Amino acid sequence: MNILIAGGGKTVYFLCRTFTSKGHKITVINRDHDESVWLARHLKIVSIHGDWSAPQVLEEAGTSLMDAVLAVTSNDHDNLAICQIASLHFKVPQTLALVNDPNNEDVFRQLGITAVSTARILSNLMEQRVGFGEITNLITASEGKLNITEIELMETSPVARKQIRDIAFPQNSLLAYILHEGQPTIPKGDTVLYPGDRVFVITLPENYAETIRMLTGDRR
Amino acid sequence: MQARTIILKHYQAILSNTGMIMSMVGVLMFTPLLVLFAWHDEWIYAKDFVIPALVLIGVGGALWRILKSRIPAPLTIQDGGVVVLLSWVIASVFAGFPFMSVLRLNFTQAIFESVSGWTTTGLSVVDVAKSPNMVLLWRSITQLIGGAGLAIITLAAITGPTGAGLTIAEGRTEQLAPHVRSSIKRVVILYAGYAVLGIILFKLAGMNFFDAINHSFAAISTGGFSTKTENIAFWDSTAIDLVSVPLMILGNMNFLTVYMLVRGKFKAVYRNGEVKAMATLIPICIILVFYLVSNSIYPTFGKSIRVAIVEVVTALTTTGFMSTVYTEWNAIGYLILIILMIIGGGTCSTAGGVKQYRVYILFKSFIWEIKRAFLPKNAVVENYFWRGDQKEYISGELLRQLISFVSLYMFIYVLGTGIIAAHGYKLNEAMFEFASSLSTVGISCGVSVASAPPLVLWTETLGMFLGRLEFFVILVSIGKIIRDLTSLTTGRTKL
Amino acid sequence: MSSENLFIFIVGCGRLGSFLANRLSGKGHSIVVIDINDAAFDSLSAEYSGFRIVGDATEFTVLKEAKIEEADIFIATTRDDNVNLMVSQVAKKIFHVPKVMARVFEPKRESIYKDFDIEAVCPTSLAVELFLEAIAESIAVEKGN
Repeated sequence: MNILIAGGGKTVYFLCRTFTSKGHKITVINRDHDESVWLARHLKIVSIHGDWSAPQVLEEAGTSLMDAVLAVTSNDHDNLAICQIASLHFKVPQTLALVNDPNNEDVFRQLGITAVSTARILSNLMEQRVGFGEITNLITASEGKLNITEIELMETSPVARKQIRDIAFPQNSLLAYILHEGQPTIPKGDTVLYPGDRVFVITLPENYAETIRMLTGDRR
Repeated sequence: MQARTIILKHYQAILSNTGMIMSMVGVLMFTPLLVLFAWHDEWIYAKDFVIPALVLIGVGGALWRILKSRIPAPLTIQDGGVVVLLSWVIASVFAGFPFMSVLRLNFTQAIFESVSGWTTTGLSVVDVAKSPNMVLLWRSITQLIGGAGLAIITLAAITGPTGAGLTIAEGRTEQLAPHVRSSIKRVVILYAGYAVLGIILFKLAGMNFFDAINHSFAAISTGGFSTKTENIAFWDSTAIDLVSVPLMILGNMNFLTVYMLVRGKFKAVYRNGEVKAMATLIPICIILVFYLVSNSIYPTFGKSIRVAIVEVVTALTTTGFMSTVYTEWNAIGYLILIILMIIGGGTCSTAGGVKQYRVYILFKSFIWEIKRAFLPKNAVVENYFWRGDQKEYISGELLRQLISFVSLYMFIYVLGTGIIAAHGYKLNEAMFEFASSLSTVGISCGVSVASAPPLVLWTETLGMFLGRLEFFVILVSIGKIIRDLTSLTTGRTKL
Repeated sequence: MSSENLFIFIVGCGRLGSFLANRLSGKGHSIVVIDINDAAFDSLSAEYSGFRIVGDATEFTVLKEAKIEEADIFIATTRDDNVNLMVSQVAKKIFHVPKVMARVFEPKRESIYKDFDIEAVCPTSLAVELFLEAIAESIAVEKGN
């Protein structure tokens, strides 16, 4: 793919390295001359020095030929401008904006741009990891609308030694998969849960806490 | 010569606006005539109000219309200060005429009473038992209007200068709405609401209609005038005492805080420093006064508690209602009341004193200093307090202004107390009475009477005036007038 | 002089923003000015009696707490075109403010954003047009001579 990245700093450097190692063709626009020079020296990319949200600069960078544009500058409003110009004017099929303010994920979506907030991702991870030794939150998929979590059942779990059909799962939660003594099983009504089993549940954010409580017995 | 024209232009605006306010005061002087509906025999006093009223309307109206500029210009705060100073002085003089002509008071006494009214103090040299109702109503009206502010009442009725220079100069600095006219409207509506509430409550508590009106005006303006010589102690009624308490507290609260309350923004109210200050000071002081003072003086438990409650609230809110005389009070009682009077009421309300928010911030600064000692050396701390529903950060400048204000206040307090004491009064009496004047409270231990030495009355009058109008406004305005006059007459601009 | 009292939001208290704020407040409208820097409010004159809010208007909560949904008019006058365009879109699409205007310095951006239902005012283009007119006039006058 041809990807255009607007931004600077270490994030951009490592993004580029990851993409180029997967075989994509990267162009980077950076406002700082020294950084552009550095990127040009250390990566196999097209490094452009210019105002990343200026239509002129974007045109000369070949935005109309890009498959994706990533705006990862430090300002939400610049990222919005870059993605909007890219998608509306240059008809780039995929755009993604990094945002600082988590509220802007939703705001940008309403304005037609997909956005990702690092603050939100990190805070979710922190919340869901701290103190829960036996719980690993694996994925927050579909723009935060879905959680997939792995839980190790302890002796004290309220559902230990019960059959699936006897367990009252909360609404909108699904027990997808059980790892019993290293063996994977798709659960059926008569499957029994034992301490030591690792269960994978899919939940909506609203039912996450309730589901966890039900499986671990902890009041969070 | 350019400077001269500029100065003159400013004064044109100043005098025009002063004239506007004078006209409003003139119109107000007609209102006491309403008593004629109930007491026809008082018509003989009508001329004592109508004549000064007409003069005010005539002169004021002329100044206003003739000097009015075609393009409505905003008044700066400095100009606003001069307008406030001039209009309050003029209003004080004219409002005193009825006292001189009807009650035969001399100039000193009449001005004292008049200023006590406008500044919502409440100290009185009038023998209310012998006064016609027209005069009694006039006193209460001056408190009602003075509490809100002459400028603000005028601007609520008439379209005045644009910008908030005038209202800020008179002490109304809080923004209830994003435009000064809307803010003024809201304040006036709230205030009118208080008045009506007060009348209803006092009536229900047992007063007759006339007394209810007068006391309601006096309560919500934190003024304290009464139609009875003994003030509210006359009734010795639990109901009346207790009804006055919430009204006094309401009058002393910052209009913005009450506005937030009315709009349901309880969190903003709950965090508010002044609300917290009141919630701490009032109960503690009531308990102190009860145990240390009233319990040993009054015959019944009920009376002791009531006196403690009313006196603490009247002193802190700077209202001035009295449910007792202070002759038997001990020194600690006097001290507690003096401290409460100096602390005073809420900012941007009708109350006086140093103001609760200043005391709150000074007190909190002390605590912040202590907390700071426990933080890492390089920690950056931003202390703040809630102003309405916005945070305001404490800066060095804010603290400096606060401290210089409090220092000036205490300096003037000591000076005034000294002047009174020099006339032979006991120290506790002088301290009590001057605190009551400077903080525009109105409770009296007996010093402020018609027969008091003129210098004592004038000292108190000046104290009341300074206390209501926030000294910086007065002192800066006087300085400005002197400076401008000198540069106009000598032709030289001294900057 | 309009007798109606409009609720107007101005983002950015620089030369343009403060001038607009002073004038509009003087005419009787209810104004809220937001600027990221509180020193900017020094440009407001004695005429101004509206609210002053210190904050970053690109932060959703700042606008929400300032009650932007009740605004009749929204004007973005910061020095950064991208900020102006972002906050204008938020005002228009998310808070449904009836009339939204933004100053845009870069003429090329002005044309791209024409379909956003935001009135973009480009001082550069306006100035260019006025200059061109003036030049054309003086050429005509010369030719006429």
